[in-house]
Amino acid sequence: MKEIITVQALEKIYKMGKVSVPALKGIDVTINKGEFVAIMGPSGSGKSTLMHILGCLDTATNGIYSLNYHKVSEMKKHKLAMIRNKQIGFVFQTFNLLPHLNIQKNVELPLMYAGFSAKQRSQKAKKVLAEVGLGDRLRHKPSELSGGQRQRVAIARAIVNEPSIILADEPTGNLDTNSGNDILSIFTELHAKGHTIIMVTHDPVVAKKANRIIKIVDGMITNGNLT
Amino acid sequence: MAISLKENISIGLSDFWSRKVRGFVTVLGIVLGTMSVIVVLSLMNGINQQTIQWMMERGGLSKITVRRDWSFDNPNNEPRYFTWKEINLIRSLVPEAEYFNPQLREWVRYSYQDKDYLSSIYGVVPDFTQIEEWDVEEGRFISAFDIDQANDVVVIGTEIKQELLGNKDAIGELITVHNRRLRIIGIMKHRFMKSNDAFRGENALSYLNRRAFIPLSTMIKKGTGEDEITSFTVKAKDADSAPALGNKLEDIILNLRHGEPVFSVETAKENAEQIAKNQKNFQVIFFVVSIISLLVGGIVIANIMLASIQERTREIGIRIAVGARRMDIFFQFLAQTIIITAIGGMFGILTGLSILTFISNYIGIELIASISVIMIALAVSVGVGFVAGIIPAVTASKLNPVEALRYE
Repeated sequence: MKEIITVQALEKIYKMGKVSVPALKGIDVTINKGEFVAIMGPSGSGKSTLMHILGCLDTATNGIYSLNYHKVSEMKKHKLAMIRNKQIGFVFQTFNLLPHLNIQKNVELPLMYAGFSAKQRSQKAKKVLAEVGLGDRLRHKPSELSGGQRQRVAIARAIVNEPSIILADEPTGNLDTNSGNDILSIFTELHAKGHTIIMVTHDPVVAKKANRIIKIVDGMITNGNLT
Repeated sequence: MAISLKENISIGLSDFWSRKVRGFVTVLGIVLGTMSVIVVLSLMNGINQQTIQWMMERGGLSKITVRRDWSFDNPNNEPRYFTWKEINLIRSLVPEAEYFNPQLREWVRYSYQDKDYLSSIYGVVPDFTQIEEWDVEEGRFISAFDIDQANDVVVIGTEIKQELLGNKDAIGELITVHNRRLRIIGIMKHRFMKSNDAFRGENALSYLNRRAFIPLSTMIKKGTGEDEITSFTVKAKDADSAPALGNKLEDIILNLRHGEPVFSVETAKENAEQIAKNQKNFQVIFFVVSIISLLVGGIVIANIMLASIQERTREIGIRIAVGARRMDIFFQFLAQTIIITAIGGMFGILTGLSILTFISNYIGIELIASISVIMIALAVSVGVGFVAGIIPAVTASKLNPVEALRYE
């Protein structure tokens, strides 16, 4: 299978005054196109840091990160913004929708930064919102929706720009079991359609939906690089 | 590929709209600042125009007036009047003066049939009409022949005519002044200028319509009986040569009175320049005050924008996560501050214009905010927005996305 993410000897060291705190101590991992991977680990293990680096929100101190054969670890900030925009779709635990915009405008946000025209944006946003079952709620504000519906908006926003990978950070963490299951089945569907999904979770039941689990403890992968 | 200016403006406007109350409060300083710029500049302009119009109405900038200076206490008892001989001497010493009008004024009772009217009467010479730029409407003015013969003729203002004769044909009628019968030979043109003082009536020049004029010689020989001319007016060739002529006259008169400044010499041009200078000073002061209030408004805006960025930290994080570049965030916030101040500026212009209309009605001067004044006000308010917006925009664009997304 074709590899989409290659990480080699990735290190992240936070400097707090004179003290250096290592968060990632040499991560090597390869993720192939079309995989559904869960990253598990206790809090403070470095899984969120890894997630942020994979999502180009943060940069590694040492090591190599390639996404779709682009060497992300050597890119400048404005290039990283472009990668975030075109290659990556984020789904957060707290949804992170803009409260003063209606859900269609929220979904259009990545398209705006990608430079699509208003008409194209509207078309694409409506299409993905229909796919997640919210085609009739376009003008609603996030506050008028349930948690599960908000997370579906966030998923629509993540996939609207047709990214290479979807990064989900505890996507069911703020939801009740039923809504959580709905969201997970959407991920399963997206996976079936060929999307590459990387999900951070501490819930083993949720992690089981993935076809591979990467365990991180203390900044290191403990279960090897299974495929 | 940055997001376009249009997008930034639409984000800015929708942000403003979703926080209307705060937006308007934020912008109040700018509204008031812009308003005061508009009002002050236009008010100053209007008053300037009014002053210039007044000068023009009263004989223009080439006019020089010599009159008794009562502020001088005259310890040596130098005569406070000119004799006819002295007047002729002065006239011969200033051949460059285009026109020369010695005059005498008296407060008298006019009678016609059973009607009386109290007003002033002036003894003048024919040059009067040229100096004052004021001539008869009907009949004729006093001629050189009238001066020569000391004829008993009078030219009256429209209000005297109205009071004594009503709508009757006045030319040729006789009116009585000091038991002397004077024949009306002319009626002066009616004078009018819109008043800037609502309490003094509509017409700022109505006092001129209450005057009447007779030959100076008639006044001296048959009126006061004394050869005492208390003032004269002169017209220089043009406004530029007026101050020099004024200085020359001052020297001549000082010589005649042994260096005692019994008389004052006033040049309309110098008066106008002095007035313009004073107004310029006021204009600068008021303008500086307006600018300071705009700056205070700008500081308030910068402050509120900084607070709002803190509040919107998570929004900034989200925007960065979905692909906004630092430039995009920077321009989003800069554009928003500029939009807020521009909206404030426009409100300020509107309120300024309506206040001007109100003041204009109240003081009776026509006040028009010129396009350039409006443009200055708008440019200053947008400039303030630009300056006030830079620091918050830089702060916003430098946020760490990971921390911003965690921000509660």
